Amino acid sequence: MSTAVTTETMPRRSWKEFILDQLRPRGPIFTPFNVISAPVILAGMVLVVIRFWKGIGAVTNLNQSYPWGLWIGFDVMTGVAFAGGAYVLTAAVYVLHAEKYHPIIRATVLNGLLSYMFYAGALMLDLGRPWHIVNPIIGNRFGYNSILFLVAWHFLLYMTSEFLEFSPAIAEWLWLPKLRRFLGMLTLPTVIFGVTLSCLHQSGLGALFLFNRNKLHPLWYTEFLPVLFLVSSVFAGLSMVIFEGSITHRVFRAQLDPKKHHDFDDIILGLARGAAATMYVYLFFKLLVFVHGKHWHYLGTKWGWWWLVEIVGFVAVPLAIYTHGYQARRIGAIRLAAALTLVGIILNRMNVCFIAFNWKSPVTYVPAVAEVVITLMVVFLEIWAFRWIVHRLPVLREPPAWAREG
Amino acid sequence: MEVHHYVNIFETKGVEYILVILFLLTFVIFMRHLKRHAPVRRQGPPPPPRLEETIVAPPKDSSGGR
Repeated sequence: MSTAVTTETMPRRSWKEFILDQLRPRGPIFTPFNVISAPVILAGMVLVVIRFWKGIGAVTNLNQSYPWGLWIGFDVMTGVAFAGGAYVLTAAVYVLHAEKYHPIIRATVLNGLLSYMFYAGALMLDLGRPWHIVNPIIGNRFGYNSILFLVAWHFLLYMTSEFLEFSPAIAEWLWLPKLRRFLGMLTLPTVIFGVTLSCLHQSGLGALFLFNRNKLHPLWYTEFLPVLFLVSSVFAGLSMVIFEGSITHRVFRAQLDPKKHHDFDDIILGLARGAAATMYVYLFFKLLVFVHGKHWHYLGTKWGWWWLVEIVGFVAVPLAIYTHGYQARRIGAIRLAAALTLVGIILNRMNVCFIAFNWKSPVTYVPAVAEVVITLMVVFLEIWAFRWIVHRLPVLREPPAWAREG
Repeated sequence: MEVHHYVNIFETKGVEYILVILFLLTFVIFMRHLKRHAPVRRQGPPPPPRLEETIVAPPKDSSGGR
């Protein structure tokens, strides 16, 4: 029985039968991905228990000089940038009426929602006293002027917004037509609210480093860090949509309408064009900031070479490949450019967060194995959750007939 | 007394203005360049021959050869 039929026939069955059916695994269990990811998730969970049992020092190499390491650099900074595709595409589809991208909007929003839930949720691991995470929300000893205060509220509100944007799919899954109609009416205002929040907290993450003028290397430090974080989140998000969309398109091919397979290539091309245009703007900003800061003399140093690797290797080169891929209609080249761009974003966020941070200090930071394992656990858990939802909810496949007519 | 050279484009930030103007110009050129692309290739079987080519029009060598 296909999953589409399961959704259509849901009202005829009891809730108990429905829940039991939804808990039933779809597809084979011993796939290569499951065999690799399951042990990593189990090992990560053991390490998480140790982290909360013995403290953060037991599983990380963080120290007084490097309070933010891999978990902040990758999970929060990079994860939130990768989730940027959701606000870019929802604005394009619901505000600008770029209907071409409508078939991938639910998968993109779901990916954004899960990214925030898992990556920003991993912030709990990094807090020395995780129970204090509620302080900004309940008004217990927080600073109104703190950027972290803004980021904390924005994460909470944006996760709520993304949940509301995705909730029509949940209503369709649970066969609740009245709720589906109501949630459908909420979509546009929620999208506008979500885009506003995203622009602010994407740049807010860059603003967190503004008071580190003396700690962050001058090639990375600039008062325009918020702008750079915002612009880079646009092409990071679009590249993530291309990368993730290409994989889901292959893995969940059976769920897609065969007539729309060609449309997906057109969508990829459109996204590539958007990514290329934004990367061009980003590259110019980086050049302008470089000239403005008069940083010529750093180029001959090892930090200068490392900066050039990031800018040339993972911004200029993917930009050229995106341009060529779009012009020649080569989807493979566009996927390569997307992968390189994602690596570049990871590199940039890690450079800002800890590689080029405290660059004069003799104390160094190298992530511990446990940090890497827990990070992989978070990534794999997010993929498992994404797969579980896509198999059951109308994310890629067509919604039920009553929802389409309504 | 500090000397300020108005002809130095680095001190006057003239180079930054030039960069911004160059960016605005080159961005337009870049977007126009990006628009030029190869024709869309669709995978699948070749389109069927047009009806008049196969039925209505007589074969070339049926009458023209005599």
